[in-house]
Amino acid sequence: MKDQDFIQFEAYLANEMPKEDLADFEARLKTDAKFNQAFNTYKELGGFLEHKFKNEAATMAFEENLKNISAQHFGLKEANKPKAKKLNFYKYAIAACVVLFLGLFVLNQFLGPTYSNYAKHDVISLSVRGENDALIKTAETAFNNKNFAKAEKAFEALLKTNPDNPELQLYQAISKIELNNFKTADYLLEQLRNGSSVYQYKAAWYLALSKLKQENNQACLSVLKTIPQEADDYKRAQKLIKKLN
Amino acid sequence: MGEKKNHEDQKYIDGLRQNNSFIIQAIYDRFVPKVVNYIKQNNGDADRAQDVVQDTLMTIYHQASQKQLRLTCPFDAYFFLLCKRKWLNELKKSSNKEVTINEEVLSKDDDAQELAFETSAFGEKQALFAEMFKKLGQACQDLLKASFKIKSMEEVAKSLGVTYAYARKKKSLCIGKLTQMVQGSPKFNQLKN
Repeated sequence: MKDQDFIQFEAYLANEMPKEDLADFEARLKTDAKFNQAFNTYKELGGFLEHKFKNEAATMAFEENLKNISAQHFGLKEANKPKAKKLNFYKYAIAACVVLFLGLFVLNQFLGPTYSNYAKHDVISLSVRGENDALIKTAETAFNNKNFAKAEKAFEALLKTNPDNPELQLYQAISKIELNNFKTADYLLEQLRNGSSVYQYKAAWYLALSKLKQENNQACLSVLKTIPQEADDYKRAQKLIKKLN
Repeated sequence: MGEKKNHEDQKYIDGLRQNNSFIIQAIYDRFVPKVVNYIKQNNGDADRAQDVVQDTLMTIYHQASQKQLRLTCPFDAYFFLLCKRKWLNELKKSSNKEVTINEEVLSKDDDAQELAFETSAFGEKQALFAEMFKKLGQACQDLLKASFKIKSMEEVAKSLGVTYAYARKKKSLCIGKLTQMVQGSPKFNQLKN
């Protein structure tokens, strides 16, 4: 196939082929098998690429959800196998573990910053307005009541009609952090952080918090260090940097 | 052959496409154990089964999202056949022994076989397309990503600092290059029926 052929394929598929060329093109599709095959492959690739890029976020969300449900299912399956009963030894072992765990838990409270210490979300009031006022209200209320599962679903629906709205993307990402959907959350926050919206530094702050929640202190630190002085969260970021070092 | 009605199990396909956790959980509870047992009884274990199931569900998701997936048979049969095919293909690749896959002769009424075959072929094509895309030059990869993410080619052209005509031409040539790479791959000839 020559370059000109692919240019023609694109024009035809985009309905931008001049009328006078249509008849010849369609005739060639019928009579030239190689031409036809190349066209069909070209068309299929277009479909593949469109789905891949337009639905990137949705696909990632699905993949993450699938992994979680799969892990739960297969984790439980192994646990349901009958175990040999050696009660007395296990009782003491469990008691010892509990004591140790409690001790460590108390100790941990005095050491090391945790996500919950820093993730204090301000009450939100969405500035996007449109035909979706009821849905917007649902998202706001759910988020402010810390019902993040409900908020996440509402944001997802809102993002379908406003896919590039940075405010919605930010609160969606925060909801996802709360729900431990880290992969998607981090992806959204990286995009916002690298963009030029008013939320870019807030996105960086939350990306750092996400890494903290994932117990990746190194990654958290490197993100925190990129938050500049003029950002709202600069002071908090500096405090957290001190605690992590 | 007349238009067949969708099976009531279409809800599983739609649920996957919509990332409906309730449906996904139901699939794991109702249909996955049979697959796991089969794989364990055929030189596999729970870990391999977990991967086979996940990959199969991803393929169904992609097919349902990209094209239309109309189920005209029970999900149970379709899903099991798909997983079985995938497992046997894996065994074939990893072992030196000859593994015969008993493909029963397709009959037009055997919807589960036909649908499973279509999905399987779709999955292999997807994998080939993805592999070839990664081998494209970075400039083409970036252009194509922009072309399909941004709504209009005018905006794409603007963001790249080129004319609309140039961007359109580059897009065709990049997909064209991808087409040639796909057609030239030996895997492509195996997929052609």
